[in-house]
Amino acid sequence: MISIKNISKTFDDKLVLNNISTEFPSGKTTVILGPSGSGKSTLLRSLNLLVRPEKGEIDFSNLHIDYSKSISSNDSFELRSKTSMVFQNWNLFPNLTVLNNITEAPIKVLKQDRKSAEDHAKQLLKDVGLEEYADRYPSQLSGGQQQRISICRSLAVNPEYILLDEPTSALDPELETQVLRILKNLSDEGQSMILVTHNMEFARMVADKILFVEDGKIEFDGSTEDFFNKPNQRIENFLSGITLK
Amino acid sequence: MWQTVISSLPELITAMLKFTIPIAILSFIFGLILAIVTALIKFITPSENKAVKGIWYVLKAIASFYVWLFRSTPLLVQLFIIFFGLPSIGIQIDAFPAAIIGFSLNTGAYASETIRSALMSVPQDQWNAAYTLNFSTRQTLQYIVFPQAIRIALPPLSNSFIGLVKDTSLASSITILEMFQVSQQIVAKNYQPLLMYVVVAALYAIICTLLSWLQRYLEKRTNRYLEGGNA
Repeated sequence: MISIKNISKTFDDKLVLNNISTEFPSGKTTVILGPSGSGKSTLLRSLNLLVRPEKGEIDFSNLHIDYSKSISSNDSFELRSKTSMVFQNWNLFPNLTVLNNITEAPIKVLKQDRKSAEDHAKQLLKDVGLEEYADRYPSQLSGGQQQRISICRSLAVNPEYILLDEPTSALDPELETQVLRILKNLSDEGQSMILVTHNMEFARMVADKILFVEDGKIEFDGSTEDFFNKPNQRIENFLSGITLK
Repeated sequence: MWQTVISSLPELITAMLKFTIPIAILSFIFGLILAIVTALIKFITPSENKAVKGIWYVLKAIASFYVWLFRSTPLLVQLFIIFFGLPSIGIQIDAFPAAIIGFSLNTGAYASETIRSALMSVPQDQWNAAYTLNFSTRQTLQYIVFPQAIRIALPPLSNSFIGLVKDTSLASSITILEMFQVSQQIVAKNYQPLLMYVVVAALYAIICTLLSWLQRYLEKRTNRYLEGGNA
């Protein structure tokens, strides 16, 4: 389990995260919702130190980090090896083939031998239906295919948690569905995930827990049923603002 | 006319092989090394350790000063200072090494900015993706950022190299018998300035054309991973 306590982050005098505390249960899918600019991505990126909060603490299994103190490279390495990230624009490495995108970190960072790293990568590619694309370069693939590969890349390092930052926001609806299907499977298999999304339907389908973030604060922290069935005024405003009804 | 041209060629080509090409190649290699080092110093910002930060700050200042100095003064003046100027403070350098030093420092200053801008052109997202996979800064540079930056830097670096080949003619002014200097000597004997200088111009053009072919080949290789390329 990941638990964070009293996390604050400012960008240029703007308080983006305001004293946030919550928990991300293991084996579950936690979905972070909220309007644009509310601090969702910042919260997610605090968990792997792509963003460095000024204060607060994180407990992750046996690892404890205080953001206000200097963080040793060992601690930051350990934190990042427990997580991996899927980005909105997938951010595959364009200079590497699909297979090498997936095996690069296992070989260079985790020191796996090439053969087993490649076998694992091919299995992952097969799982997302892209095994015949192993030797292509990312630029030869569609956005949806690239995002599926980036999911493989994130799984290849055997993370405890996968952090997903609006993984389908840059995709056409048809391509989005292919990606969502894979994420749904992962969620069903009990992979710990933390997902930022704007897709309410999908959130409702996969979330075990929902965090609703607004103006850098957590306005709702609870079960998916409660969020959609017993919304407070704020949530209702948010939900009605993004649907046509 | 052809007789004059043909009889002058052995001397010109000897000068080309002995000085023009070696000076260009050696200076470009040294210049490139210097450029990569200074570009990295200016590009990287070390985060944690205070002592490292302090040293880096000094290195950055030195690198910036070097780039500024050699971009803001004429190459010919730089060669004169190294070859004719330094002896008066007791630093005697032979013509050939003086030329190599001058051309390397000059090329390095220009190429440094080329490489730095190529490094900056690789999006921050690539660094983020690498960091989340626990690549170190060195690994990210080596496996992810450099291979992408080379593609961007290749055309301007080729320009620098081609420019350098032609600039080696300035070495004649510090007593080196390179191709252009030899052509002047031949003119002094046969009084055919137009013909001889056209011939030497053609020889420079041949070298530069071969280099632009090399550039095209390298561009194709480094572009391989982009749209339409075959794996």
